[in-house]
Amino acid sequence: MLLIRTIVRPEKKDEVLAELSTAGFNAATMVDVVGRGKQKGIKIGGMVYDEIPKTLILMVVPEDAKDTVIKMILSIAKTGTEGTFGDGKIFVSPVDEVYTISKGTQGL
Amino acid sequence: MKEIMAIVRMKKTGATKKALVAAGVAGFTAVKVLGRGNLVTDPQTIEECKEKLLSMGMDEFSEAEDTEKMVNSFLDGSRFFPRRLFTILAHDEDVPRIIEAVANANRTEYGIGDGTIFVLPVFDAVRVRTGEAGDAAIW
Repeated sequence: MLLIRTIVRPEKKDEVLAELSTAGFNAATMVDVVGRGKQKGIKIGGMVYDEIPKTLILMVVPEDAKDTVIKMILSIAKTGTEGTFGDGKIFVSPVDEVYTISKGTQGL
Repeated sequence: MKEIMAIVRMKKTGATKKALVAAGVAGFTAVKVLGRGNLVTDPQTIEECKEKLLSMGMDEFSEAEDTEKMVNSFLDGSRFFPRRLFTILAHDEDVPRIIEAVANANRTEYGIGDGTIFVLPVFDAVRVRTGEAGDAAIW
């Protein structure tokens, strides 16, 4: 099982989640976060904005679904044809165990 | 060293905190999140839930049609619900005990929506106050 942490633009989150849901990956958790990337924030005039609002989406998926999910997120969350700074990142980490509380069983 | 991520109902935050203290784990981080779970496809479970929600939602001011529409939107799986995400760092041998405590504190008669627990491996942890690393930094 893998945990996929995706940071996307807040205006793209609905689209990403709707597409993932129709592809059968309904379960997701999202948090509003602020952050900056390697562009070191945005400079407008003399002001530097280094706490840019983004949405963090957490999903735990089976290992064989990883490529499908990542490809889907990449295609939707990208802005413009070449992509733009600030489109976000995807991190994948291993998950050892998953428990569903209501059933009291192990597994997604 | 393991990281336990538990997604629980908002109302169960207090119960979870108590359960953690009883299990001997005091430290945790909690965040308010929005989440949704796997789509429930069993029609009988959905029907039961719907009846329960409809009986709760009706009063003299609400229209039956509107209430039903609302209840349906709750059950079609597309809506996000507020939940609390607990992050607990633990020694390997304590993990089953913590999972047991959190699961028991959060099980309700509603079933669906009680939450999920994920266990992730952690490579290192450092306590800022003393600078000690590894297992000593957990508690």
